[in-house]
Amino acid sequence: MSEGNNKSGAFRLSRRRLLGRLGGAAALSLAAPLVLRRGRAEAASKNLVFVTWGGTYRSSVEEGLIKPFMAETGINVTVIDTPDLAKVKAQVTTGNVEWDIFDAPGALGTAGSKAGYWEPLSASLFDASDLSIPATKDLVPFYTFAGGIAYDPKRYPDGKYPKDFAEYFDANAFPGRRTFRNRPSETLEAALLADGVPPSKIYPLDVDRAFNALDRIKPSVAKWVDSTPQTITLLQTNEVDFSYSYASRVRTTAATGAGMAFSFAQTLNGLEYLAVLKNAPNKDSALKFVSYALQPARQAAVMELLGNTPNSKKAISMLSPATRKWLPDMTSDQNLIMDEWWWSDNFEKLSRRFKEWELS
Amino acid sequence: MTGVENPRAAAAYVSPAAIVSLAIAAVPLLFILFTSLGGSSFSLEAFKDLLSSALFRRSLLTTIEISVSASLISLALGYIVALHLARQSPRRRAIYMVLVLLPFWTSILVKSYAFTVILGREGLINSLLSWALGVHVALPMILNRFGVMVGMTNYLTPFIVFPVLASLLAIDPAIYRAADIMSARPPRIFFTITLPLSLPGVVAGLSSVVVMSLGFFIIPALLGGRQDMMLANLVDFYTRETLDWNMAAAIGVMLLIMVILLSAPALWMRRNQLVGRR
Repeated sequence: MSEGNNKSGAFRLSRRRLLGRLGGAAALSLAAPLVLRRGRAEAASKNLVFVTWGGTYRSSVEEGLIKPFMAETGINVTVIDTPDLAKVKAQVTTGNVEWDIFDAPGALGTAGSKAGYWEPLSASLFDASDLSIPATKDLVPFYTFAGGIAYDPKRYPDGKYPKDFAEYFDANAFPGRRTFRNRPSETLEAALLADGVPPSKIYPLDVDRAFNALDRIKPSVAKWVDSTPQTITLLQTNEVDFSYSYASRVRTTAATGAGMAFSFAQTLNGLEYLAVLKNAPNKDSALKFVSYALQPARQAAVMELLGNTPNSKKAISMLSPATRKWLPDMTSDQNLIMDEWWWSDNFEKLSRRFKEWELS
Repeated sequence: MTGVENPRAAAAYVSPAAIVSLAIAAVPLLFILFTSLGGSSFSLEAFKDLLSSALFRRSLLTTIEISVSASLISLALGYIVALHLARQSPRRRAIYMVLVLLPFWTSILVKSYAFTVILGREGLINSLLSWALGVHVALPMILNRFGVMVGMTNYLTPFIVFPVLASLLAIDPAIYRAADIMSARPPRIFFTITLPLSLPGVVAGLSSVVVMSLGFFIIPALLGGRQDMMLANLVDFYTRETLDWNMAAAIGVMLLIMVILLSAPALWMRRNQLVGRR
């Protein structure tokens, strides 16, 4: 309803008028999807909906990617918070697609690909020689994020904190309370690395061996963390001594002057993908956007703010030295890149086992 | 009470609300029921899976355990607060009610983080104790069941205070005067007048609090330990992480059945009251 309508209603509101107006509102809201859809079709090439994460993440992406894109192409981008795959499923299965581009953490990207929720991405959209990790038929890696050991260097100087997963799992040499994520992905990989499996031989995961290694560390785990910010806050409040967290998060926290550091001796690197929804209303613009997001200059501009590793090789050298200091050395054989495709086949079954193991 | 005694007139008053709630609640609920039964290809597979799953049974027990104990603690605390509020002058009561409402208006996420600061190993309480006793105290009060109880009780208590207060204020002061004239002592007055007459508020508050706590999600995730896994967390897992809506809906239906069973006593009590009045 228009504002003018509401205002005149506020002056004289007899019951009959109110009922009439409510009826009108109901009719309007029923007709709204039709009206909106027609409006959208007309402006199809000039509008895009991008679903991404909130907070400083959102402002970094807006600054480094969305504003330049809008300036260069004249296409307006609407940003929506929180990529939720359940909502993608609802949109695609009901044929009522409202989102165009989805900022997908590894597991969501591969799960959506298996379910057929993404449009194919043609190889011509990207410079294949520049991408560290190649695009698949419907997903392109946007960046990788490094998970690993966070600690307070004032309380635990060099030699006193666990620098890799073998030491993180050694509660005798490095006594203290620890965190892990409350899910099998990342946690089982860390357990196998700790147990001496080299990163190149991690997949397929030896699940029983991983759970055995986890049994050893279980008594020292103060919290199996559900929400990512808590990996930092628990460390800040001294609730735990060491925390499994992420380099980009630690970097932001350390920048505020809080005593916090991250060990780059060994990292678990997860992928973040970009995907275009199946039958996206503005498919052509969406494909253009995804291609634009992988250009070296844009990759560098966004990752300079986000603190993650760009997937464009050229972008890495464009980053400032201060930012590069916070990126893992991807040529080191101690670092692992997560295999989200393996997880998409095993996640549900292992999540059940993991949760049952936690309860026991 | 100037309530509507004629059921037909009552229906006229209730119907707009009933139509709205049917439209916005009943339709999605029917869809959830439909999804839990396997959608267009009818099957009880999801329910069979659930009942045979150790994970589901454990979470169900934990959920009931946490909900019931948090509700009872909230009732004990909320009743005392309501009793105190009922004895104040209206002006003071208004001020105190704002104090009850303040935490109620605060985001549950913010409150959970605030409790980390208050109850943590180096939080306010432990620091104060360490300072007072001269030894290092680090009582574990979060990341365990205790933390969940504190967080949930803090959230739920206002939902007890208001219905109980309404019942207490509805008690005719003449009854108290009569009891006083007959020289009844305070405990006697409480157990023969105040408590029985406040029961409708207690039942209303308690049942809504239990129902609410069955769906708790953030507080156990932030303040609980690894064993404090509630059904809402499982629903989230199936809805968003594995996209198995069949299972998610089946858990939802189970929760709904529990809620219906729990609201039965409240309905029954209300009916008795109406019948009693005639």
